[in-house]
Amino acid sequence: MSRKQKEAMQGIIYVLPSFILILIFCIIPIFMSGYFSLTEYNVMKPPVFIKFANFQKMFQDSYIIDATKNTLLYVLITVPIQTILSLLFAAFLAQKMQNKAGGFLRSVMFIPVIASSVTAGTIWRIILNTDGGMLNNILNFLHLPSVNWLGDTKTSLLSICIVAIWKNVGYFLVIYYAGIMGISKDLYESAQVDGANKIQQFFEITLPMLKPITYLVVTLGIIWSFQVFDLSYLMTGGGPGQSSVTLVMSIYNSAFKQYRMGYACATAMFLLVIIVVINILEDRLLGGKKEEKR
Amino acid sequence: MNSSQKLQKKREWTPLSILGLLILILFAVICVAPFIYMAIMSFTQSTTKILHWSDVNFSDFTNFNYIFNKSGFIRALLNSVIVVSCSCFFNCVVASMAAYGFEKKNFPGKELIFRIYLITLMIPGQVTMIPVFIMMTKMKLTNTYFALIVLIINAFGVFLIRQFMEGVPDELLEAAKIDGCPEYRIFIQIVIPLIKPVLISLIVFTFVSSWNDFLWPLVSTSKSEMYTLTVALSLLKTQYQTNYGLVMAGATISFIFPFILYVFLQKQFMEGIALSGIKG
Repeated sequence: MSRKQKEAMQGIIYVLPSFILILIFCIIPIFMSGYFSLTEYNVMKPPVFIKFANFQKMFQDSYIIDATKNTLLYVLITVPIQTILSLLFAAFLAQKMQNKAGGFLRSVMFIPVIASSVTAGTIWRIILNTDGGMLNNILNFLHLPSVNWLGDTKTSLLSICIVAIWKNVGYFLVIYYAGIMGISKDLYESAQVDGANKIQQFFEITLPMLKPITYLVVTLGIIWSFQVFDLSYLMTGGGPGQSSVTLVMSIYNSAFKQYRMGYACATAMFLLVIIVVINILEDRLLGGKKEEKR
Repeated sequence: MNSSQKLQKKREWTPLSILGLLILILFAVICVAPFIYMAIMSFTQSTTKILHWSDVNFSDFTNFNYIFNKSGFIRALLNSVIVVSCSCFFNCVVASMAAYGFEKKNFPGKELIFRIYLITLMIPGQVTMIPVFIMMTKMKLTNTYFALIVLIINAFGVFLIRQFMEGVPDELLEAAKIDGCPEYRIFIQIVIPLIKPVLISLIVFTFVSSWNDFLWPLVSTSKSEMYTLTVALSLLKTQYQTNYGLVMAGATISFIFPFILYVFLQKQFMEGIALSGIKG
């Protein structure tokens, strides 16, 4: 065996365990999911091929339509707000508070990230209670009327968005902060010499230099937000009515409550297509210069 | 510290920046307040949603006693600890091996396979969840640790470590090989120590995602002795709807372990997340 062959052999052996796992638990299931989405399948009986009937049904199913609308709305609210908040907080901390106090604030804001969404959802459900929940108590104290946060179709999804933002800002703040610290100080010094003020510096230096990180933050934010399930399952259970049902929740319900595996896979494929399309669009808008980075 | 740095330190506090500081502090308070509320609430016997300060009794551990003795929470806690530690360990082993293979060895189809790995990162877990569930059911693997652990391993770790491994000099590995060091020892004794920072980052990442995982444990476990902590907590909420003190005690227990770990390994947590961001 030549040296080259030996090296190739070793390489394959090193990659093999992860390849097998990813093949069995990720790549093959994608194709299975694609096939099941064209069938009627309840696990007990073998799948029956029904072509695109699941998809036709899906686009007339008010539950799925509401879930899609809610999920899109959720993404449109959480992703921009959490991105902007974490960027502004990180920029402020990097500019004004590179000291112990700033470090402490960062650590504190990271705490919600550590808690699971189940813990967060459990706590917030009690805080957002209509009668006597902590938030309404504070509102009443400020002479504002109580809000039926989780029980009103107008505010249920919004409440989930607020909790999601609360939970995610710390995470992205840490990423942004590290990014800002990585920007060369010389850039800021020469801008200062040129007479640029802090706000100009932010728009002329910080923001453009952070473009790859913003790309990452937005991409991760979108992918995660489309998969929202835990918070809405725990806080509202999708209700009241269908006002906070999400796409993943509808997948969960069709698959594990009604055992309609084919239908659930069709919804999952739909979710996959949305995520891929949005990622491509985002790549065109924000990315594009990825090659330059290397 | 040179003079220009000193100059930068002495930044003026304008009204606008003071406003910024206030908003920041307010947000930080909002970040911790719910957890403080949770901890206080867990010491009440309250069955109303209102926190009455007169109900709070910090020497009263009734809720915690009840949870530990009756509701199988201890078992769920143990399950979570087992699942999380195994996930972290196996993810590190499998991912660093693969990253080493991809970065330092040459074999046909290498870049194509790596590209496929990257594509799988974009696939939401819910797409693969149903076929995996069906496979596991057919092989009678639901309600096992195997099912709970194996899905944590994904291409992200490989991607993360490979980026870092570019920095490991090839000359070093060549030199070790010329000295007659066997291949597996090069990997274990030279490569692994050099990639320690990124391994810590991966452990933090795996820990957070595995400890917090909810949907897959919910789906793949049906026996109460296999529940993880997140599932047990969500059930506590449905079983004891109005016993708010008890539910909060459950939430406190599920929060306290990652929190203690975070307090001690704060730097590693932050750096782990930051590293994944910069490298990504």
